[in-house]
Amino acid sequence: MKSRKTLWFWCCLLGLIVFLTVFSSLLAPFSPNKMNMEEVYSAPSSEHWLGTDHLGRDVLSRLLEGGKVTLAVASSSVILSLVIGVVYGGISGYFGGVIDTVMMRLLEALITIPSLIIILVFQAIIQGGMWGMALLIGLTGWLVTARIVRSEFIRLKEEEFVKMANMFGTPVWKILWGHLLRNSIPAIFVVTLFNFAGAIFMEVSLSFLGIGIPPAIPSWGNMLYYAQNDILIGAWWIALFPGIMIFLTILAINFIGEAWKNPERRRVND
Amino acid sequence: MIEVKDLSIEIKDQHITKHIDFTIRRGKITSLIGESGSGKSMTVSALLGLLPIDAKVSGYVMYEGRNILDASVQEMASLRRQDIFTIFQDASNSFNPSVKLGHQLYTFSGERVGDTLDVFNEKMHVILDQLGLAWEVVEQYPFQLSGGMLQRCMIACAFYVEPALLIADEPTSALDMVLQKEFIQLLIRLNEERGTTILLITHDLDIVAEAAHEMAVMQQGTIVEMGTVETVFSNPRDAYTKRLLESRF
Repeated sequence: MKSRKTLWFWCCLLGLIVFLTVFSSLLAPFSPNKMNMEEVYSAPSSEHWLGTDHLGRDVLSRLLEGGKVTLAVASSSVILSLVIGVVYGGISGYFGGVIDTVMMRLLEALITIPSLIIILVFQAIIQGGMWGMALLIGLTGWLVTARIVRSEFIRLKEEEFVKMANMFGTPVWKILWGHLLRNSIPAIFVVTLFNFAGAIFMEVSLSFLGIGIPPAIPSWGNMLYYAQNDILIGAWWIALFPGIMIFLTILAINFIGEAWKNPERRRVND
Repeated sequence: MIEVKDLSIEIKDQHITKHIDFTIRRGKITSLIGESGSGKSMTVSALLGLLPIDAKVSGYVMYEGRNILDASVQEMASLRRQDIFTIFQDASNSFNPSVKLGHQLYTFSGERVGDTLDVFNEKMHVILDQLGLAWEVVEQYPFQLSGGMLQRCMIACAFYVEPALLIADEPTSALDMVLQKEFIQLLIRLNEERGTTILLITHDLDIVAEAAHEMAVMQQGTIVEMGTVETVFSNPRDAYTKRLLESRF
């Protein structure tokens, strides 16, 4: 009962953050890129709730708009990695044998290279923008998903109901879709949630290093990057609020993921 | 109806069954009894053409005048779809846990014989009623029902399909005593009402005594005795059968 309430709380918080960022263009009090040189570095006040930055831009507006960018990059990359992971892991798990061995050795080789390094290198070479980065994060983030899908498929294909469907001559795609994938959803959901948190973190890290989202587009990571200098002159609000948002979002996703990991919520016993 | 002649199965140089012969007579309940590891399940897999790839099989399984061990994959698939219905040990594993039962019952029964959903709903309603199941089960997921209810759902499909041959592989070992009795009664009903031929695989002599007409006793990959239940029970010839019968009382 208690865990249900906590889950509820974190879902609401995440929902609120998503809602605020999705409708940022309606909710933001100022245009995120509107500069006002007369109000540079003004502390939080009734007019600018979260203050302004070194160009006099409203931090709240940039925070909401930046959230949209960060979450858009994270979601699109997660969807991409989900698709690749499910297909790769599915093929490997369903067919097994030599195919499985080859695919898993390849995956293990890839998993030893930290994805941050790969993304750093490619991002530096192709100088990718927002979508380029989403693509890179997606292309490097499917490894764990593939592993999970593979192990679920291997476990499920030995189950009696799958054998039974096979015996009745159910078409392979129906077994893959309706029997194997459908019953892997809880596990895939959890790993995708954690991937999502990871993707947000990746965007923030890269932008913080100055090679992520181009400067003209606000994102949470970008805001942190530019706030580095501002902190030195005492403008704490520019860094604090994006920091809190990143912290809360990742925390919420992790708590939701943890709650779902709880086997009591699953239908198929491991 | 099915005549098994000289059937030998060998997996990785290990003899699973050795030259076994038995017949399943049309309209009768034939029981294959033996301890675990005696090769019962593998024999059934051979009948269904579902042996592992590395299994070597020889002999004859004659069904309607031809040897189904030689049948092609397609022929075997259509045979399994149309003529044979199989009930496994644990019904709670035989259903897809994330799909509502109604849909699964339809795939197991109506769809196989080519009925539309409307026809299925009508026919299945009657059958579920007869088996003492509420129509509401179709809206439920398998994990919401007990093992006994799920096994009854399985047999409801058998009632629907009216297969030429029903193979029940240890159908009662996951059920408690009361449910076992109930289930056996259902099998007998299916046999008497619809004349379905049943191959009942079990290790429980009480079930054989109650349900079967004929029995074959299997031990370490061979059939040691075959005959009607009355003769085998009253006059067992093989030492193993005698031991089995003695341990029962």
